[in-house]
Amino acid sequence: MRRLVLAALLALTLPAGAHAGTLAPLSAAEIPALLKPPAHGVRILAVWALDCAYCEANMQALAKLQRAHPREIELVTVATDSIAHGVAISARLEAMHMDSYPAHAYAEASPERLDYLLDPDWGGETPRTEVIRADGSRLGISGELTAAQLQKLL
Amino acid sequence: MGHAGEEQRTKTDAMRKLILTLLCLLSSAALAHDMPGMKMPRGPALGASAAFDAHRRLWVVDAADGHVRLRRSDDFGKTLSAPVDVNAVAEPIYDSGENRPKIAFGPKGELYVSWSQPRAKPWTGYVRFARSLDGGAHFSTPITVHHDRAEITHRFDALAVDGQGRVVIAWIDKRGLEAAKAKGQPYLGAAVYYSWSSDAGQSFVPERKLMDNSCECCRIALARTPDGEVAAFFRGVYGDNIRDHAFALLPTDDAPVHAERATFSGWRIAACPEQGPGLAIGADGTRHAVWYEASHGPAIWYGQLDPGQPPKHLLKLAGPGASHADVAVHGKTVWLAWNQVDANGYTLMLRVSTDGGLHFAAPRTIAHSVAAVGSPQLLTWQGRAFVAWNTADGFRLVPTEAP
Repeated sequence: MRRLVLAALLALTLPAGAHAGTLAPLSAAEIPALLKPPAHGVRILAVWALDCAYCEANMQALAKLQRAHPREIELVTVATDSIAHGVAISARLEAMHMDSYPAHAYAEASPERLDYLLDPDWGGETPRTEVIRADGSRLGISGELTAAQLQKLL
Repeated sequence: MGHAGEEQRTKTDAMRKLILTLLCLLSSAALAHDMPGMKMPRGPALGASAAFDAHRRLWVVDAADGHVRLRRSDDFGKTLSAPVDVNAVAEPIYDSGENRPKIAFGPKGELYVSWSQPRAKPWTGYVRFARSLDGGAHFSTPITVHHDRAEITHRFDALAVDGQGRVVIAWIDKRGLEAAKAKGQPYLGAAVYYSWSSDAGQSFVPERKLMDNSCECCRIALARTPDGEVAAFFRGVYGDNIRDHAFALLPTDDAPVHAERATFSGWRIAACPEQGPGLAIGADGTRHAVWYEASHGPAIWYGQLDPGQPPKHLLKLAGPGASHADVAVHGKTVWLAWNQVDANGYTLMLRVSTDGGLHFAAPRTIAHSVAAVGSPQLLTWQGRAFVAWNTADGFRLVPTEAP
């Protein structure tokens, strides 16, 4: 039986290797840590979904902003799709060159409860940008950010 | 059996479970490799649709492991039959709340099922259809409904049967967007196309465009008018990304299509709301509708559509935490149902009017779920209303009568 376990483990690691380990499931219990004010600067949650055609451009704009202010901005991506779609989520993150940031995907089969816990004033539309500042203040914006909105995130 | 024996059994059980888990993961990975664009196969998702047939039998469709599966219930949802696969050959299937398999019945008991199939590239899909003429025992080989075969968005299918028995299917389609992109021209959103079958789903006529500039990922609501036509209510894109809704009849002759703006909330946003509207049309022609918008914070509205004009009898049903409302009507009774979420889980909410939607009684809680839930779907049968509510703990048919 042990041999079977080993064989299964081996076979499992082979195809998964390239994208393994970067996508973390996000459950209700982990949300408080994500929303905890950072020690300095801002944490920006780039919330996106597989179905969302506006999200890619929005994430890349946020990544550009983060690269311009690497000390001030901690960028984290959150997919509202279930982690059951993990293969597709990881592939999409890689395709849009967003796979170097910490990445989460919802650990529930429908998104509404986690949406609500992330921000009760948000109806689930994506992209959603959640900004958590060191002073504890918050900002949530739905939709692809305009240049003016991007400027005001810091 | 002694302590050591028990320990051994526990170990063996644990190992058996581990092997099973690993094998499941393995087969998932293999399948995902075989089918480009396929989401990881797994148990049934929460995207389900339900309908009563003429003999009060309840039918439920959802998707699992590449198959749309059909179950039936003869006891108002208390027990469901073993599932029958609608598509014999597995294929990728969209199964989210806004993009779930659909079911409808023809006048002679024909069983019609539609769904959207993801293609290899992101945001692409084909609208698929199969029928059963023997009460769900066997299904036809699935066909692709649209004649356009470009690998672009044709998804978020909606299914209805008109008064003449025609099978009408509408969907979101990006051929206009792709054509504009190729010419370097701007194009906001997607479009809504539709087709119909006059031969009980054996074939579909070439599709017609209903409206350019629709929202990209919100379900389309279809309802039958008293004249037997099929009407659509869906989210559009007006002006500079204003996400209000349109109403249109879907002619099945040479009559021109004419979609009119029917909500005027002015919510301007470049985003995917993933919350399509609901529509039910009374015997008197009143167009009862529910929709979501967030121009001043998340809100779900009820109104009676007066296409070209703002809706009448507007009522804000709910605010933050509310989602995916549906509406049904029978005579003067109008039912509204929606999901209300908080930190502890999901509550299924109901409001009822007995004067044709002029006044509604206070909201009532009719069910609760700690586990994740799908979108509620209001069903009527002989003047009674039920809510089909698919939860991660199982499918539920919730009665709406006050206790």
